[in-house]
Amino acid sequence: MENILEKIAYCTEFGKINKVSPYPPDMKGQDGVDELTKLALEQGVSPNDILTKGFVLGMERVGKKFSENKVFVPQMLISAKAMTTGMAHLKPFFTSGEVKRKGKFIIGTVAGDLHDIGKNLVAMMVEGSGWEVIDLGVDVNSDKFIQNIKNSNATAVALSALLTTTMVNMEKIVKEIRGQVPEIKICVGGAPVNQEFCAKIGADHYSPDPQGLVEYLNRLVA
Amino acid sequence: MALKQNMSDWAADLINSKERAAIPIMTHPGIEMIGKHVIDAVTDGTTHFEAIKAIASQYPTSAATIIMDLTVESEAFGCRINFGEHEVPSVMERLVHDFETVSNLKIPDMNSGRIQEYLKASRLAAENIADRPVFGGCIGPFSLAGRLFDMTEIMTAAIIEPETITLLLEKCTKLLLQYVLEMKKTGVNGIIIAEPAAGLLDETLCEEFSSKYVKLIVDATQDENFMVVLHNCGNTGHLTQSMVNTGAAGLHFGNRIDMLKVLQEVPSNILVMGNLDPVGVFKMSDAGQIKTITSNLLKATREYSNFVISSGCDTPPGVSQANVDAFFEAVNDFNYNNITSKQLTY
Repeated sequence: MENILEKIAYCTEFGKINKVSPYPPDMKGQDGVDELTKLALEQGVSPNDILTKGFVLGMERVGKKFSENKVFVPQMLISAKAMTTGMAHLKPFFTSGEVKRKGKFIIGTVAGDLHDIGKNLVAMMVEGSGWEVIDLGVDVNSDKFIQNIKNSNATAVALSALLTTTMVNMEKIVKEIRGQVPEIKICVGGAPVNQEFCAKIGADHYSPDPQGLVEYLNRLVA
Repeated sequence: MALKQNMSDWAADLINSKERAAIPIMTHPGIEMIGKHVIDAVTDGTTHFEAIKAIASQYPTSAATIIMDLTVESEAFGCRINFGEHEVPSVMERLVHDFETVSNLKIPDMNSGRIQEYLKASRLAAENIADRPVFGGCIGPFSLAGRLFDMTEIMTAAIIEPETITLLLEKCTKLLLQYVLEMKKTGVNGIIIAEPAAGLLDETLCEEFSSKYVKLIVDATQDENFMVVLHNCGNTGHLTQSMVNTGAAGLHFGNRIDMLKVLQEVPSNILVMGNLDPVGVFKMSDAGQIKTITSNLLKATREYSNFVISSGCDTPPGVSQANVDAFFEAVNDFNYNNITSKQLTY
């Protein structure tokens, strides 16, 4: 049982999605996360173990390597893709409540901004660490953020921006979220954002990389 | 009349000069100086030129540059573009998603989208700014492909569908090559190729999906009268050699990189430009902070004669004139002190 979980973690870490995927080249023709997750469930492995000892572990390892500049965005995204493929098999267990996630996390690129690669990367990393992610997409205004926070009872919300012009919108959105849902933790990120800006607009957290955000979120529920 | 400049000599002069050259990528303050908005400049070549001219008239830049607008070529291919009055344009949605759609993608001609407006701005700048070289600009092949295919999707597709991305890159490079050759005809003295998305790749992927194609453009266009500068603000140090391999005579770096390390790695005959944070420094700092940060970078890089101080990327809209003034004051002070101390030594 441990062996198959380790295999799932390994395939997640190295981005082996399924048997037909040509990546990584040295695993060509071998089962990937897709087949191994199905097999593990058939063998009676607990879905919760598949999540925590398979996907979460694999994503943790790749996230650490990303923070250390040992792998880069494509490798991170392909790991996330592998994880998402496997996660689809766990969906019924999330719905039934058999598998519990750490909490709900909302993310979106702020109003006026259509860039999403940073937001996507963060969303996948957070999901891979065991959170339920509600991705609101791009060009998200404060009303949409607030409505989704209220409806979901989320623990944290993250605002992303790539443009300096839309970064300014973060301040307004943070203020409006604070006014309506004071208890929620607000995180900000994106290329032009820094710690100083985060503090200035009254957000709770800034991290230059996704792993930093994952660690922050996990501390919230530790 | 465009300035006919031997760019190899120009680069050698910069390297041999006692003064440190400054070439910030800076057009937005010029747009504000002429009382216009971003949307006016990115859609009208004459307004764009007037902004470039305003900067050149006001500041002692060693070369003039055009707006780093990374949507012109995507729009030419057919992408829908979002324009804001005060914002740089952005691509609204992907145009292709698999091998078939990439195969069917037509390479646009030079009358597509806003290409003619950018050529016009370049031509007017080349004709009317005679005291320094003028650099045109275009997007890099991988960054263009990313806009057409979706930036997130291309990152994984490069690994699992390399034949699709290779075909897309070939098409992007054909357009860019044609565009750069047209830009060269306008009389500009060089081009800055902005390839930020390549900064997200590792060295092997960067070589295969970006540098190889940039090199094709460099080989076909760069000569003694036309210099290619490759800009990659995503490189954190892992791609410097790959940038060198393109053969570009100038390399431009973003604020996330250690400039001293870059200068140690890059051959001394290549101009190395960078890397003050366009947002954290130019936009968000005050004039005093800018002077200090600029001065510190100049002092730290003093030994490297091929260094040209610049912003790490296009300075965004909303940078105050006081901050731009402070940057040039710091450069001026450094050059004055440098020359004075050298004279005292003799």
